Amino acid sequence: MIYSILSLKKNPRKLNTMLAGIKGISGVGLYAVSVDKITVVVCDINKAEIIADKSCAIEYAGVIETLAQQFTLLPVRYGSVMESADAIKKILERNYNEIQRNLQKVENKFEFGLKVFCDSEKLMAELEDANETVQKSGSEIKNSVFRKYVNQKLIEHRREEMLLSYVDSIIVEFTRFLTHLNTINKIKKMASTKNIIDAVFLLKKNRKDEMVQAVKDFQSKYPRLNFILTGPWPPYNFVDFTIK
Amino acid sequence: MSENKILCNTGTVDLSVNDITEELEQLTNNKGSKLKLTPDNADSGLAKLVLTLVELIRKLVEKQAMRRVDGGLLTEEEIERLGETLMKLEMKMEELKKHFNLTDRDLNINLGPLGDLM
Repeated sequence: MIYSILSLKKNPRKLNTMLAGIKGISGVGLYAVSVDKITVVVCDINKAEIIADKSCAIEYAGVIETLAQQFTLLPVRYGSVMESADAIKKILERNYNEIQRNLQKVENKFEFGLKVFCDSEKLMAELEDANETVQKSGSEIKNSVFRKYVNQKLIEHRREEMLLSYVDSIIVEFTRFLTHLNTINKIKKMASTKNIIDAVFLLKKNRKDEMVQAVKDFQSKYPRLNFILTGPWPPYNFVDFTIK
Repeated sequence: MSENKILCNTGTVDLSVNDITEELEQLTNNKGSKLKLTPDNADSGLAKLVLTLVELIRKLVEKQAMRRVDGGLLTEEEIERLGETLMKLEMKMEELKKHFNLTDRDLNINLGPLGDLM
């Protein structure tokens, strides 16, 4: 089973020493398979023995996490299995350039996650107070039941649009704020009614404190929202290639 | 998520680590929104799938219609007719949901990393 793909430009002994000290899932030993400057960390496991449960996935992630502290790596999806070390080598040779490109992109970088939560009903009500147009149609209600229905839907639509535009403005402001950190960003909005922003950033390892400070500054500016920054993580969301 | 991975969580919104974990689990593992088709539930599974897609289209139509109303692109008469149509569509959906014993929560599909359909 494959854990991760590493960039190993020098000092392979350091990796081997490290691998000797950590165990894979179910206590199986780890070893390295290399092609030139790319190394894959693997363990021998029978495909039928792989259990897709939470504790195994956490154990698996723990191994990747430990390796990521010392090496630039691309995490591999849990349960990725190849038949033999030779098959892995062939894959590495075929995809060498793409893997190198991805490794260069994430070199000396960590991923950070930012989730912004809020009580969206409360927030919408507050935004509504500051925006007269939302309720405008409500005051123009005519007698027709159909017109009343449309007016109600229109108010709901305007509230949603207002929240979306508020979320957009925060995203724009925050990404502008991060420009000097040279982050690579992936941002989703409205993952749920409470989770209004779900973002991941790829950032140089030595700039972690600046990121934390940026989030704290934003938290002070927007006390109605809850900013939760997590990390550092291996670059799970920034591996971008399909194996040939 | 282990607490030592949380670098910053100082908001005033009352959310504990448990709340967040619960919210995240709901986002990533929404059991109700997974499509489960088996030989025993082929009828209801198919009804759920079809109604989910119909509901998605109904909501998209409603959204687009509201954009047009908000943009002042429709006459009073057109708005009247639109209201009647949307209202009847919503009532029909309610009937169908009741018939197949489905709730609003059931009418969704988890698209894995992309989140829920609606």
